[in-house]
Order: sequence, then C-alpha cells, then structure tokens
Amino acid sequence: MPLQTDGVKLYVGLPLDAVSTCNTVNHARAISAGLKALKLLGIDGVELPVWWGIAEKDKSGKYDWTGYLVLAEMVQKLGLKLHVSLCFHASKDAKILLPDWVSRIGESQPDVYFTDRSGQRYKDCLSLAVDDLPVLDGKTPIEAYAEFCESFKASFSPFIGSTITGISIGLGPDGELRYPSHHYRSKNNSHRGAGEFQCYNKYMLENLKQHAETHGNPLWGLSGPHDAPGYSQSPMSSGFFLEHGGSWEMPYGDFFLSWYSSQLISHGDRILSVAASTFEDTEIIVSGKVPLMHSWYKTRSHPSELTAGFYNTANRDGYEAIAAIFSRNSCKIILPGMDLSEENEPNESRSSPELLLAQIASACGKHEVQISGENSLVSVSPRGYEQIKKNLVDQNVVDLFTYQRMGAYFFSPEHFPSYTKFVRSLNQANLHSDDLVTEEEGTAVSLPGTNLRMQAA
Amino acid sequence: MSIAVIRPLFRQPHRLGGGHRPAYLNSSMARSFYLNYAYSPRPIFNDACSLSSHHFKPAKALSLRTSSIDTAVVETSESSDFVFSETFQLKRPQKVEGKITIRLESGNSDDNWRLTVGCCLPGKWILHWGVNYIGDVGSEWDQPPPDMRPPGSIPIKDYAIETPLEKSLASSEGESIYEVNIDFNTNSSIAAINFVLKDEETGSWYQHRGRDFKVPLIDYLQDDGNIVGAKKGLGTWPGPLGQISNMLLKPEAANSKEDIGELSVQKRGLQGFYEEQAVVKEILVDNSVSVSVRHCLETAKNLLYIETDLPGDVIVHWGICKDDGKTWEIPSEPYPPETSMFKDKALRTLLQRKNGGHGSLGSFILDEGSVAFVFVLKLNENTWLNCHGNDFCIPLSSFSVPPIHSGQPHSEDEEQNNESGSLLISGNASEANQEVSAYTDEIIDEIRSLVTDISSEKNRRTKSKKAQESILQEIEKLAAEAYSIFRSSIPTFTETDLLEEEALEPPVKISSGTGSGFEILCQGFNWESHKSGKWYIDLREKASKLASLGFTVLWLPPPTDSVSSEGYMPRDLYNLNSRYGNMDELKILVKELHEVGIRVLGDVVLNHRCAQYKNQNGIWNIFGGRLNWDDRAVVADDPHFQGRGNKSSGDNFHAAPNIDHSQEFVRKDIKEWLHWLREEIGYDGWRLDFVRGFWGGYVKDYIEATEPYFAVGEYWDSLSYTYGEMDHNQDAHRQRIIDWINATNGTAGAFDVTTKGILHSALERCEYWRLSDEKGKPPGVVGWWPSRAVTFIENHDTGSTQGHWRFPGGKEIQGYAYILTHPGTPSVFYDHIFSEYQSEISTLISIRNRNKIQCRSTVQIMKAERDVYAAMTDEKVVMKIGPGHYEPSNGSRNWSLVAEGRDYKIWETS
Repeated sequence: MPLQTDGVKLYVGLPLDAVSTCNTVNHARAISAGLKALKLLGIDGVELPVWWGIAEKDKSGKYDWTGYLVLAEMVQKLGLKLHVSLCFHASKDAKILLPDWVSRIGESQPDVYFTDRSGQRYKDCLSLAVDDLPVLDGKTPIEAYAEFCESFKASFSPFIGSTITGISIGLGPDGELRYPSHHYRSKNNSHRGAGEFQCYNKYMLENLKQHAETHGNPLWGLSGPHDAPGYSQSPMSSGFFLEHGGSWEMPYGDFFLSWYSSQLISHGDRILSVAASTFEDTEIIVSGKVPLMHSWYKTRSHPSELTAGFYNTANRDGYEAIAAIFSRNSCKIILPGMDLSEENEPNESRSSPELLLAQIASACGKHEVQISGENSLVSVSPRGYEQIKKNLVDQNVVDLFTYQRMGAYFFSPEHFPSYTKFVRSLNQANLHSDDLVTEEEGTAVSLPGTNLRMQAA
Repeated sequence: MSIAVIRPLFRQPHRLGGGHRPAYLNSSMARSFYLNYAYSPRPIFNDACSLSSHHFKPAKALSLRTSSIDTAVVETSESSDFVFSETFQLKRPQKVEGKITIRLESGNSDDNWRLTVGCCLPGKWILHWGVNYIGDVGSEWDQPPPDMRPPGSIPIKDYAIETPLEKSLASSEGESIYEVNIDFNTNSSIAAINFVLKDEETGSWYQHRGRDFKVPLIDYLQDDGNIVGAKKGLGTWPGPLGQISNMLLKPEAANSKEDIGELSVQKRGLQGFYEEQAVVKEILVDNSVSVSVRHCLETAKNLLYIETDLPGDVIVHWGICKDDGKTWEIPSEPYPPETSMFKDKALRTLLQRKNGGHGSLGSFILDEGSVAFVFVLKLNENTWLNCHGNDFCIPLSSFSVPPIHSGQPHSEDEEQNNESGSLLISGNASEANQEVSAYTDEIIDEIRSLVTDISSEKNRRTKSKKAQESILQEIEKLAAEAYSIFRSSIPTFTETDLLEEEALEPPVKISSGTGSGFEILCQGFNWESHKSGKWYIDLREKASKLASLGFTVLWLPPPTDSVSSEGYMPRDLYNLNSRYGNMDELKILVKELHEVGIRVLGDVVLNHRCAQYKNQNGIWNIFGGRLNWDDRAVVADDPHFQGRGNKSSGDNFHAAPNIDHSQEFVRKDIKEWLHWLREEIGYDGWRLDFVRGFWGGYVKDYIEATEPYFAVGEYWDSLSYTYGEMDHNQDAHRQRIIDWINATNGTAGAFDVTTKGILHSALERCEYWRLSDEKGKPPGVVGWWPSRAVTFIENHDTGSTQGHWRFPGGKEIQGYAYILTHPGTPSVFYDHIFSEYQSEISTLISIRNRNKIQCRSTVQIMKAERDVYAAMTDEKVVMKIGPGHYEPSNGSRNWSLVAEGRDYKIWETS
C-alpha cells in the first residue's frame, strides 16, 4: 500500500562511520536495532556512505568491501532498500581520510588539492583541475573513480536492482558539486562571509591563463579576482560583489565567472557520465548532490553561489546548465536544505533557502530531472519538520527524502520522538485532525494501572 | 471502581507474602505482560457457546458448503475424493470480566465480625492472607491466630495463610460465586487484615493497585494507598483512590504515628462495608478448526474447505507452497469473496459467518500444481492462531504427502497428546526482535492502512489505533536500544547548529528511577576530594576519560556551603561555593560533562541543615541565606534543637537540625531550590543523602516536581546479624529499602546496601552460597526490584579514608565482576576507577555495554556453593567468582572466555 504522500519515499542515512577504517561494522548492534525501528516506522530504506578512504585504503586498485557487504546484507534481511553514496572525499567529522596512497601523493604534489588565494590547500578531496591528469601513479582521478565504481558494481551485484536501488556519486567537497569555497571560516565570525574562489593551484591557474589567452585578454588570466573579499569579510566590503558597480557585472567578472563555473560543470558532467555508464545496464538510479548555497541569495550578485562555482546572479540563471548535465546523464539531483527556511536564517546573511530551492527545482523541472531531498541540520527543529513537510507534500518537489542521520542523537529521547511524529504526520498528512490519534491517547501515562507497570519494571 | 486498578499478574512464579512479599514483578514478565496484555485490552467475548469445543465432521462440512458461495458450487463434483481431512484443536485467549467482592460485617455479637472475600469468575481461587497486630513495626505480615483461620487453611511459612475459596451457596444459575469467610473478634489485637487473591489454575495473582489488599480494623494505620473500605470519616476521597496524594496534604499523619508507640490505640468504631473491584482474567478457550480437501477430477482442481467454531470475524491469512513448504506463494485467481492481497505475500480471506452465528466457514479452489495450502488464522491485530508454532500446512497432492511440519497432528491419538500444548500465539511484539517476520510486515501494514481505514467504521479505527500503539512501543524499545549502544561508543560527531526550540515531549518518559535503564554510575569523589580546593577543575580533565570508560552518569559531591568541608552539613543552600570549587567552576564542569555525554547527579542533603543563628534560648535553629527558615522548619522530636515543627517522619540525624518536610513551606522552598539547581547548574538528577530521615512520599513529591533524569537515595541501615554472624536471609533488610522505593512510588532507585553486605560475607569468608537467596535469586535489592537497585561496593563513607564498612581488600574486582554483569544500575567508586583496577573495570563495563546488560536484565544463578558463584545474564554472559571451579557447558551456545582475573571469569556467547 503506498504512502499517502504520493509516493515520497523516506530514507534515513546510516552513520558516516558505519564501517570503520579497518573495514568492520561499527556499532553493528545499534544499527541492527535502529534498522528494525525504522522498518517498523515504515521507512523505505537507508543511505549508506561508502568511503574511498576505506574501501580502497591501502593501495590503488586494491578494494576491500567487507564491512559494506555486511551492512548491505543486514539491510537486505530487513527488507529495506539501500541507497549507496560513493564518497570520494574525506570527512573531518567522521575522521575519515582520503585513501592513504592518495594522501601520500598529495603530500608530494600539493597541487592536486584545491587552493585558495592565500595558498591554503583544501585536502578533503582532489581538485577538479586534475580530473584528467595522470596524477595518481599514472592513473587519472576519473579513471580511479571509474574503477572504484566498477569494483563496487561487481562486488555488490547480488544486491543491485533488488536491495540497492540507487547510488549517488561523489562530486566534490562533502560529495557535493561545488568548490570548497567555505572551507576556511574564522571561528568568531558573527556573519557568514561569501567564501573565496578556489582557483589558485598550479593546474587551475594554467587553465585560466590558457583560457584568457584564447579569449584575447591574456592579462585576465594571470590570477583570480583581486577585489574579492576574504572568508571572514562581508561580501559587500570590497569591490567584486558590490550590489551596484561590482566587478561581477563587468566584462572581466563575466569572463572569470563563466570560466570558473564552466570548470565545475564539465567536472560534474565527467563524473556523472562515468557513473551513468557504469550502471547503465542495471536498474540503479544514479544521483549527484548539488549544494544549497543559500546565504546572500537575496543580493543581486549571489556571492556565496559564485565562489562555490554557480554563476547564478540577478542577471543570469546558473542552474539550468547544472540541470542540463544531470539530464544528459539521466541522473537525479540530491538537494539538501529541505528543512531550512528564511525565517531561521540570520537576517544579515540575506539568505533564502526556499527561493533558491524553488529556482533549482524549476530548472530541474525544465530538464525533467528528478530531485531527492535531504535535511541540512543535524537537529531538525519542529519548524524544520514543518518546512520539510511543506517541500514533500505541498510543493511536491521531491520523490525521495533522506533524513540525515542515524546515530546516538537520532535515537535520543530528545530527538527520536519528534522524528517519529514527523514520519507519522507525513503518513497521515491528508487526514482530518479528528481522525488522528491524539497525544493523550497515544501515551499510556494517563491510564490507570500505570503504577503497577512502573513498579513492575 | 475501575477495571484497570486490579490486574492479574500472569503466571507469577513465586509466592507473595509477608516479609517475603516482593512488591514488584519479575522484569521480563513485566515486559511481556506490558506488551501483550496490558497495552491493548481485547474485546471481551461473552459467547457462552465458545466455551465448548465442536468437532466437525467432514461430511457435515461438505453438505454445508454448498450454501456458502457461488464459485464453490460450480466446482463441486460428485466424483471428488478426500485427500485430507483433519480437525485441529485451538486455544484461544479470551478475557472475561468479573469482580472481587469484599464485605465486612458484624456477626452475631458486637465484637464478632466477619470479612468475606469473593470472586465471581470461575477458577481455583486461593486467598493468600496475613494480619498486622497492634504495635507491629513495619508492614510485614504475621499469621493470624489459629481460631481465626477458616477450615482448610494452610500456613505458609510463618507469615501467611492460604485459604481456598469455596463455591458459595448463593451461586445462581450460570454464575458461580466463590467465597471465603474470616471470622474474628474485635477484642483481639489485630490491626489489619492483608490479602491477595490467587488463581491456582493460571498461577495469576490479583492485587490491589499493585499492592496487597488491606482491611484496617483500627484507625491509626498509616495509609499507603492500598486500603479498601476506608471509613468515610477519615477523609473525603472517593473510595480507595487518591490516598497517596491525600497523605501529602495531611502532615498530621506523622503525628498520628506517635500514637502507636504509646499504644493508646483507639479502637475504631468498626463499620461494615461492601466493595467490589473489577477484575479481568484471561482464559484459554478451546476451539477447533477443521480442514478438508477434495480433489475434483473433472476440473483438475483441489477444493479446500475450512470450518471453525471461533467466534467473531476470522481471517484466513493464506498462500500456497510449490516446493518445500517454506516459501509462500500467491495462487492464481479466482479467490473466494472477501479476499484481499497482503503485500504480495499472502492472501487474506474473511470466513463467512455460519447461519445461526456460531463459527465461520470458507472454501478455496486451488490448482493442482500446489504441494500444500498454508495458513494461519487471524482473530484481531493481536491474536493469531497457528499450529504448534508453525503455519498450518495442508497437503494438497492426491498422493499421501506427509504433513510438512512436525508439529502437526497426524492421528487422533497424537492429537490427544498434543492437546495440552495446543497452539496459541498472540501478537507478541518482541518477536520482531528475532527477525522481521510476517508479523512485522503485518504491523507495518497496519500503520499504513491506518491512513486508508478512515472511512471504515469507528471500532475498526480503534483497533488500528491500538495496533499502532503497540508498534510505537516496539519502535521505542528498539530506538532506546540503539540509542544506548550508539551513546556508549565514543562520540565522533559534534552536534552544532542546535536550534533553541522547545524539544517535544518524548512519548515514553525516561523514568527517574532508572534513567534509560542502561546507566552506569560513577561516584566522582572520595572523602578527601575537598582538600585540593579545586576538585571541579580536577574533574574536568577526567571527563573524557570517564566517558570513554563508558560511564553515563556522574555523581558529584554536595555543592552547598557546609559546616563540614565534605559538604554533608549544608548551611546556606543557595551558596554554591564550597571546598570543591566555586559555582562557576561547577557550571563549567557540568557543561563539559554534558559535552562528553555524561549526565550529572547533584548530591542533595535534604534531611538536615545547619543553622546560622541561635534562638532566644541560645539554640542553633535559625537559618540564614535565601532560605531563612526558623525553628518551625525543624522537627519537634529532637530535644537538641527545640524544633517547633511536626515530629520527624523518619529517623533522626543527631548532629544537625532535621528538616520537617511535612511543612508545606519547607517543601515549596526545597522544590524551588532543586529547580534552581537543575536550571542554574544543569544537574540532571539527584543522589539523595540520608533518606532514612524522612518519609519517601516527600521524595516522590520532590522528584515529580523536578523531573530528574535519574535519582537514587541512600537508605543505609544495618543488616541482620545473629551472634555477630550475618544472617543468610536479609529479606527484612532489603524489604526496608524496597518499602522506601515504594514510598517514592518508584520514582527513585536506592543503593543496594543489602548486596554490598552479602558480598562482604561471601567474599571475605568464602561463603559464596550466600549469593543465592532461598528462591534462587540474588539476595539483595537487585533480586527483588532490579530496576531500582543501584548496586555498589564502596562509597565515600564505607571506604575512602573513613572506612566505616570497607569492602574486603583485594576482592574489589570480584565485587565489580558481580555488579557489572548483574541487573540493577551499577555504580563504580572513584578510588577504584583511578587505581590499578582501571583496566579490569573498563573491560567489565565494555562487556556490560556490548551485551546490552541493563537494569532489567534477567539473571539466572548457575551455581552458589561454598567457594564459587556463577550466574548467567540475559543468556548472553556467564560470570563466576570465587576460587572454585566453574565452566559454562557448551550446549546450544558456544561460550568463549572474554575476561579473567583473580578469582573471576566472564564468558560471552560467540
């Protein structure tokens, strides 16, 4: 019997460290109990992050899927579906690194990483500029990703199409299609800066130079924008993003931003097509994650989106091109931020998660790209649940929603009841309130005889 | 009168009675009781016919069949042969409603009275009873004088009598009344008659509000809320309900206690009364289902016919097997009317009611290819009937295919033999624990169908609600389990971006008596901790270590201004600068403990408080600071302090003025103070000092007002010794602790002093047999009310530099091996954690966590002999302590040794 929410499937993310770095299942019993609870709750499936740094940890081409296979079996036994996220990035939160052999290469050739204006490296994933360069012991990163996908597909073939119904492919920092523009943020930053452009490693600069020469403006290719603000500065504090007369609206700005964003788009296209071709003979749906860079959305220049690589401003739609590459590769887009709403964002950040979401959704609509949703905050507030519900039921934007993420907090008495309530309210979304079980009836507290049970326990 | 007030305690294996009267249930029983029965009371059938069993003959069945449904008629053929014909016995759980009557009336003279207890339900009823004599201290039972015992009475040990109820002459047609009369003389010194009712047939016990029934014969009796037939003049409450709260409002109750001592007892002008208590009994009713199969040669089909005498709607949940009988498949159409598809896995057919209303029938047409027809019967969401734990499996082939499942009766003889073990399962949600079975799918379906059921009639919806509630219970249980394990592993996430919105009230409250059930306490100080002057700062460095060791709760020293530097002589309660550090340091410590996932208990001294000023007589009994009470807040019965309050409701602590908790303003101020501690400091719960000093009902009040995550009281008094040797039986000691917990209504746990004392003797003198009580259970509080027992082996008073009652030296790890593998909530003493024992303690804690041993775990004692004690917990862990030999037998389980040390070993199933 389908859910009442017109087929919105509900998933929950497994812990980021569900499989340990030594390839065993972490807190297996907790996960097992948790999966049963979710099954009973009527959840359709779970999302499992599969890490490059764990499955191909020691040596290029040497894969170990043991822990993940155990988990897939657990999920299968419970009759849940599995969405696998192939993660080619590292996670500081979960203390998961890139593969050791990749990190070693990174130490000797730091230019494989994204680099900002001051020369700081972002070491949690490889720069998109080296996609097709044989930097990994003679292999290109794209080849390494492709082989990883092939090995995954071969090892999980018993699950594919039955238990595993979808995968998402890592596209960059935190798996998202973007530059790590926000990776460095000073601690006591009261307002959110717009991030910095990440075009300063050797390969990016070479590419920029070449592009400028082709474009007939060799001087524009010598560096990135000189008047862009730093991480902790307000975007309006220097010339590039100014609301009126900012460089972004000048021919140079257009030149730079077109190049910067096109690099991201071709990178996304490359990886999506690798994944799509790997899994084209299966029933698996391939997805990729696009971030919701919602701060400063209500300015004309959209600085946060620009530094992250989305050339989306008051004058230009930056998401049509993104939707187009997903469409071309028959991939789904995963959008986080379903729980965010403008009223909970600080005023000074001029943010609007809802408007941005609507814009991306409309671009996807035009290109017939389907969307899966996720929440962004670890702790979704009652208001956040309302917002998710709005997106799932009223707006009908998504056909699958993954709640992030299982763990101690998820099952804690502070959180789990509200999640349960959320899921149940989704299932009952169309009921008149008179028909719902009221709280009083739902809890046994008011029943006489409770005392005995308390004593008895 | 209320049905839910009295509940049968199903199949309670042990005796209830006097000094041995456990005021609790076995934990696992309670759990299943809760899930199976209490939560969703089933509709009560009063179908007299269903009490008798019908055996259907296939021929009769066939002749009736034609009247059933159209499709069947078409397929019928005279040339068909029986392939199979069988009648299966069923046992259907059914609830019957009745009442227990209690009548007190005067007999032939003013002094002779009669108590009559009756019950109108069929059963083998036994009255299990005892009396209190005037002047008795405590709530233990005594045996009544011989002339009071009705004929047929059997003494039970030295504290109770069991008297069978006899069928009363007043029984009318169709309704039997069972009664017992107790005649007594009011000139005897009996203060009260206590009883519980037992049904020998089912082994169920019937109590009154979870306690004994109590009929008081004199006025003064302290009212614990279980008195029946309360004299109206005593108060205005309606019937027996609501008396605990009433107690709280009546401080003079403490006064009246005084009268007992002086024996100036006023014989109450005894008044007769008659009361009825509703009672629900679950009985098994015999029913049967007949299945016959014919093979129709013309149509090459099998015709299967089911008939049953089960009342109400009966749904056949069915499918066919084409292979080994394990895989259910959906046959091809046509299906009988009223058939629906269940999750592509099975079909559900509602049987047609028979004409006349008794029973249902249905027929099924099946293709030849199938090997067997498999089914179970569904009566309602919670009641399924199957065949000896298996699906019914009916062979369809015309060759004599033996029944696939072994449990299936083959012949009439075997059927007889099997009858007692005849099938019954009710929807036991815990089965979902084993695997997600058809049942799980079922309840998931219920959740979803709830959505679509709206248009159907109301009672259907009510059923769905109930099913849904039991699912939610199960979900919560699983979530709690997942939570406790996730939480016990080292956190790798920092939760930022927490929005400051009001958290929703969780539907299942964490009980302050148990926390999550998986708590492991650490006593975070010793008798010297005040000396550094910066204990709060010192502890901060240890926070992450304590968390990584697996502790979930930390007990901090008493925080207030105090006359003694250790903090147990509090003075200004709102001044939190102490020898352990100042208030800011305390706040930071609590915050940091919270960050590593540890909850914090404040040590609150509520029994006594030191004064700051003298009264006009030069007596120190005027208090200072924000709570500037005067001598009205001090109990009246300690001459040292000249209090003007009421007499103490407990024992006195003579070194400081004892607080009079019966005063409304005192309680209000204390609640406010506790609130302030919760909010200002962030304490999650309480360790309550010297709770012997005042009535547990006040503690209940404080706990309910401050809603702590966890609370534990120190009720420490001496064990029983005879000629300097500890008695084996410490039941009286643990009963006193249980009584206190009971007085708090289970809102607080208590330190299991009994267990500590018995461990002392057992380990020191090599008398490990002491670790099993007469009933083969743990001899401490943990054996009687495990979830409320906070087990420990040492604290700042017993050990540390005071050493009032030190645990036998060198045997501490044996003590921890015991408490950390047993139910109850274990508490580990600071001195032991930061000692050479740390790694062993750490191992023991991780074994506890790994195996999810919790305060309600079940323990089975395997051996309790002179030099060795061994026990198995939750069938997952086996431990032994003592120098003697013990090895678990590797029968069905494979035990592997996971820890060992001096005189202890622990095994896990692998």
